[in-house]
Amino acid sequence: MSSSLLEKATTQTAAIETVGLCKRFGQVTALDHVNLRIHRGEFTAFMGASGSGKTTLMNIMTCLDTATEGKVLLDGRDVATFDDEMRRKFRSEKIGLVFQQFHLIPYLSALENVMLAQHYHSVVDEPTALKVLEQFGMGHRVHHLPKQLSGGEQQRVCIARALVNEPPFIFADEPTGNLDEENEQVVMDFLKQLHSQGRTIIMVTHNPDLARSANRIVRLHHGKYLGEELENAPKV
Amino acid sequence: MLPRLIIQSWRHNLRRKALAVVTVLFAAALVSALLAVSIDVGDKMAREMKSYGANILIEPTGQAVLPALLGENASPLPSQDLLNESDLPNINNIFWRNNILGYAPLLVGRAKANGRDTVITGTFFNKSFPLADEPGYHTGHKVISTYWNVSGEWPDDEKTEALVGRKLAESTGWKAGDTVELTQSQRRLRVKITGILETGSAEDQQLVLPLVIAQKLFNQEGKVQSIRISALTVPESQLSRKARRDVESLNAGEYDSWYCTAYVSSIAHQLEEALPGTAVRPIWQVAASEGVVVGKVQLLLIVATVAALIAASMGIASLTTTSILERTQEIGLMKALDARLWQILALFYAESALNGLVGGLLGCVAGWGLAQLIGRELFGAALNFNWIVVPTVLALSILISLIGTWIPAQRIAKLYPAEVLYGRH
Repeated sequence: MSSSLLEKATTQTAAIETVGLCKRFGQVTALDHVNLRIHRGEFTAFMGASGSGKTTLMNIMTCLDTATEGKVLLDGRDVATFDDEMRRKFRSEKIGLVFQQFHLIPYLSALENVMLAQHYHSVVDEPTALKVLEQFGMGHRVHHLPKQLSGGEQQRVCIARALVNEPPFIFADEPTGNLDEENEQVVMDFLKQLHSQGRTIIMVTHNPDLARSANRIVRLHHGKYLGEELENAPKV
Repeated sequence: MLPRLIIQSWRHNLRRKALAVVTVLFAAALVSALLAVSIDVGDKMAREMKSYGANILIEPTGQAVLPALLGENASPLPSQDLLNESDLPNINNIFWRNNILGYAPLLVGRAKANGRDTVITGTFFNKSFPLADEPGYHTGHKVISTYWNVSGEWPDDEKTEALVGRKLAESTGWKAGDTVELTQSQRRLRVKITGILETGSAEDQQLVLPLVIAQKLFNQEGKVQSIRISALTVPESQLSRKARRDVESLNAGEYDSWYCTAYVSSIAHQLEEALPGTAVRPIWQVAASEGVVVGKVQLLLIVATVAALIAASMGIASLTTTSILERTQEIGLMKALDARLWQILALFYAESALNGLVGGLLGCVAGWGLAQLIGRELFGAALNFNWIVVPTVLALSILISLIGTWIPAQRIAKLYPAEVLYGRH
């Protein structure tokens, strides 16, 4: 790890910051006083074994879940002060989600799944949705239902859906967890490409090889921040 | 996008949608059939009740004070206490003439039949009585007393023919084809028995002849003693009961409303206006029974309809609950994609409304068939399917679908996307 890079990262204004973040499910502590700053343009990987709290951390950062203790600052604003509509709007404007299980609506075509994100964001723009799908090599499969697509294709639709509203933050939870090696590489290439375009990427993974695609690796263990390392210089 | 989403979503998992549609269909079929029956049952039941005989009796004013309608001791009264047969067409001139199903005049007296003292009744059997606007009009006991059971042939109203009551036939041995000689004062007539009559009442011990023959026998040409009328009426109401107590107590508006409604009392009142010098009185046992029976049948139908609606709503609620449980990840994803709650609810309510609409439409068709079946089985005739039933049933079908969705839809608000997307619910 380069100390100069780490210093640079910590002195920049944080896009996302967690302060003493805790999350408990009954008697189980999923996150235990996690302090973290993520800067704009970073490609950060949360790494850890199953149960380390990395997905929980991501869910709280994306406003899909709430903290039991501590706070999350998004662009310097405490999300705990947001009401439901503000939280929804913030997520809608700022965040794109990529899931391990893809979570495509089974009765909608690839194109309609992407358009659904537009529909809930603002207005449906079919040409834009088509264009995004084409960017991910799905131009010939736009009218296929999810069950007619391979895992890799479904994940590409999922990424297209996350990007169609052009959010600055992309959160990807084990994005290659259900893919074969070839598709894994394709998806990682897409994420690196998005990062190179200036987007902030936060990826959850337990795979050290994939984590090395990021320029910052945050390690979690039993809900605690274990440390981090910088693989590449952050893109600012 | 929402219509597209609704249509695609509705086409997905057709088996479950079919179950919801069938649930609504059964309820809608039942409700539309019951509604159709309920709307038409008053008329149908009233006609059915007419088989139990006349519900209005007209007598001369003087005779109306006598307690017995047609006592065994009845005998032709002096001419001034009888009605003129020539006044009968006035019955068909009242405001509610179309509700007059038929009538039968009566002339009752005693005479010797083959030397045996016998009560003789003269009446119409199926008399041709041409009216200005209905040349083929027939009236008589064949029309108004469908409970009269005749073994043999009905007599011709213009011939010297007769029916012999069952009990009289048993005691005398008279049978169809026999000829009986009637003697009254110095007048003699021979009538041919065409059939045995069984009514379960006084006629079972009488000889029943065409009115014109009885008039000759009793020397009362052109006269009748009383008239039995069968009229279609509506069940009694508070207004008609008030009128029944005292017509004078009605104000102008109430009087108009009462007069223009086919209550047995208002029809009786109009008959009295049309036939001066007569006392017209409803036969309350029959009239009241009609009202009570029709009222009770309608209440029963309403209860069954409400029960069917509640059952269907519960069925829909059960199906929607299962559907929501199956689609939690989809709902979670929509929330994660920043859908507003109402947008998700709109999808589920729209799907339910669509189920209700399709089920309701199919239910109307099935209900129409069911109503015809009920009509034929219960009343021996097809029911008039009132078209107001269709929009009513469609609205009810959609409503029960929405009500059935309402409670399970509360779960949607409580679903946390993080929990359902990562299987922690």
